[in-house]
Amino acid sequence: MFRSDRPRLTLSRRELLKSTTALAALGLAPGLARGAMDGPWAAVPGSKVDAVNFTGWQYGEIYAKIAQQFQNDWGVEFKQNLSGFNEYFQKFTTAFAGGAQIDCAMGFAAEIRTWAEQGIVEPLDDLPGLDQYVADFTPAQKQISQFEGSVWALPYFSTIWVWNYYEDMLEKAGFDHAFTSYDELIEQCVKAKKDGVCQYPILWVAGVGPEQLPGTWYSMTWNRGGTFFDAQGNHQLGPGSVARETLRWWAETFTKLDIADPESLKVQFTGSAKAFMAGHNLYRGPNHHYGLNLVNDPGQSPIAGKVKMHPMPGDGRTMANGGVYFMTTAHADKEWAWKTLQYLGGRTKDGEYTQAYRLASDAMLGSGYQSVMDSPKLSETWSKWGDVPAILSAWQKATFMGDVISSVFQKWHTPWNDIINIELQKTLTGQKTADEACDTMIEGIATAKRSI
Amino acid sequence: MAGGARSLVAPGAVGPDRNRRHPGAEEGCVTRPAPAPIKVRELSRRQLALAMNAPSVLLMLVVLVFPLFYALYLSFSRVRIGELRRGFPFPFYGFENYVRLFQDELFLHSLQNTFVFALIVVVVEVVLGLAIALLINQQGLWLSRVTRVLILLPYAIPPIANGLIWIYIYNFKLGFLNRSLFQLGFIEQYIDWTGIPETALYSLTVPYIWRTLPFAILLFHAALQGLPKDVYEAARVDGAGAWRCFWHITLPLMRPIIAVVVILRTSFAFLVFDEVLALTQGGPGDATWVASWFSYKKSFAPPFNIGLGAASAYVLALVIGLLAVFYVKVLYRRAQ
Repeated sequence: MFRSDRPRLTLSRRELLKSTTALAALGLAPGLARGAMDGPWAAVPGSKVDAVNFTGWQYGEIYAKIAQQFQNDWGVEFKQNLSGFNEYFQKFTTAFAGGAQIDCAMGFAAEIRTWAEQGIVEPLDDLPGLDQYVADFTPAQKQISQFEGSVWALPYFSTIWVWNYYEDMLEKAGFDHAFTSYDELIEQCVKAKKDGVCQYPILWVAGVGPEQLPGTWYSMTWNRGGTFFDAQGNHQLGPGSVARETLRWWAETFTKLDIADPESLKVQFTGSAKAFMAGHNLYRGPNHHYGLNLVNDPGQSPIAGKVKMHPMPGDGRTMANGGVYFMTTAHADKEWAWKTLQYLGGRTKDGEYTQAYRLASDAMLGSGYQSVMDSPKLSETWSKWGDVPAILSAWQKATFMGDVISSVFQKWHTPWNDIINIELQKTLTGQKTADEACDTMIEGIATAKRSI
Repeated sequence: MAGGARSLVAPGAVGPDRNRRHPGAEEGCVTRPAPAPIKVRELSRRQLALAMNAPSVLLMLVVLVFPLFYALYLSFSRVRIGELRRGFPFPFYGFENYVRLFQDELFLHSLQNTFVFALIVVVVEVVLGLAIALLINQQGLWLSRVTRVLILLPYAIPPIANGLIWIYIYNFKLGFLNRSLFQLGFIEQYIDWTGIPETALYSLTVPYIWRTLPFAILLFHAALQGLPKDVYEAARVDGAGAWRCFWHITLPLMRPIIAVVVILRTSFAFLVFDEVLALTQGGPGDATWVASWFSYKKSFAPPFNIGLGAASAYVLALVIGLLAVFYVKVLYRRAQ
């Protein structure tokens, strides 16, 4: 599903056999419904516990539903310790440090390695049914979950960066198609502003965050043919680099052209989708694909049904990323923690990828499982929000974030990410030039390395 | 309560049952000898003081002194989340965290922002707090009674909720502030208050002051009510107007409470966090990075450098401590 520039994993004879077994268990051969019910996910743990604990960030009723199912299936209480996204990491780490029992938690690709290195994440090797899961991982999910010879996490979701546009406004501005190049994007926006169609044609996702503000820059740099580190790990931010020129161009939409909505600097993915609902912008800059489920929801959006997904310009190459569920070392019982983890990031007792499909149907999230991404069920649930073939076509041109900016695999990436956030906003608000910001970011690599 | 045992019963007090005689005792019945009085040892004043203070001292040790020394210990250690869960002992790191801290331009910038923020907050809260306290202290105005209640409302709002309220007030396109100012003709175009580096830090002070000002008003108002009335009456007899009364009577008498408010408000303003979290997350750029935000980010974001976060928090605590000592020496004692 994702294109990767890294060497692909090849299947050994042993792995092939494992994969075949997995496919059988997935229910793709005759008599398989029974097979699914009898799979390792249906096995009763030998030990007993009163409750299992999950810590995560809230999204609607998704966790309440899976908790109820777990309770019904196993008679064990599924405790959810949920918080808002921005408070989650602090809450989780504080609870962990404070000695709380946490069987499972969630995070992003960039954090999982740091957490594993600090002894927070329990490796999943040799747990029953793991091989079947791994065999169904997308290539990107394999990059996220497998490192240092172990499997550390199951998929939470996957996503790609795409554009959105407000169809009615595009028509009102007199354009019969959305932009196909960055030059055309500027032309359309300048004209829309000049004609008084809208004051700020572009709403960027430029709010501070691990992959919100930086993700916009990464995805556009990648789309323009650039990257951030070469294969040897040398930065690609020097004078004339694609990343630097992309930042210069991006900043001009705020400073020189005044076509970028000032609210862009405060909104993350969901916030930008909600702001876009107001119908004041023509385009919503590259962001996670799933915002469509908000802007096209008649229950909450005044412009529902009028927002279209638009692929990245040029050859359409874009960036993908994903989240994970993992077992923590603070679990009370490994068997039950594994059972909990499977309900979140794997299969439920009936052999279904229940949570993955629910995340797709309730939140429009993609999956780290190939079989889920390829399923008609996913396409059907997504169709109420957008053009599914177009979205999946964009997906085919996506490359995992780790290939775009390989530092996400390094422990120093997060402190460096703080510097990136600061320098990007300084550039977008005209406090610094793109050159000055990139120079500071280059210096910041050494600072970040020293800080860990 | 056996003989010689300590008792907290006051000397001379005798239990009611011991005084009660058996029925018929006066009719010549043989009476039992009265039991020997229980010796009650009176606590000395010093012992009583110790006994009364022990629980609170113990509580202070647990909730105040222990965290203080624990944070100090952490600041000299190399600690991350995993080590914190495993517990003592942590690898000793010497002054490395402090060295890194003072080499970090972002920390120094955050500290500078904190000073600016605290200065604005303290000055505004003292001036505005005193002014509002004087207004609501007017006994003749019935409205002042209503105002007294209303003025406390912001103080009851949780800090993070306050931050969220102001997100909407400051919203660039739809916010109440821009609309009001524009309609009133104060601004010619909408301003992105928290999105522009030049205004972001100052914009943060407003929600903070709005939330915490009632505390200053309460203290000033309580102090105003304790001022002697006869001094004012004498001054009026001598022909002093309102301004002269304020300048020559109210202000000098209020100096101790002003010193208290300055000390307390400075300490709290240095710890501003919730408004930063809700409104700006340190942005745009590093325009609203303050010291407590720095500590938070270093401690609770990967790679979870708890030791560095503790060191930065300790530096902040020391700064606040030094300022408090300075205030007490210069302002409070002089005022007294």
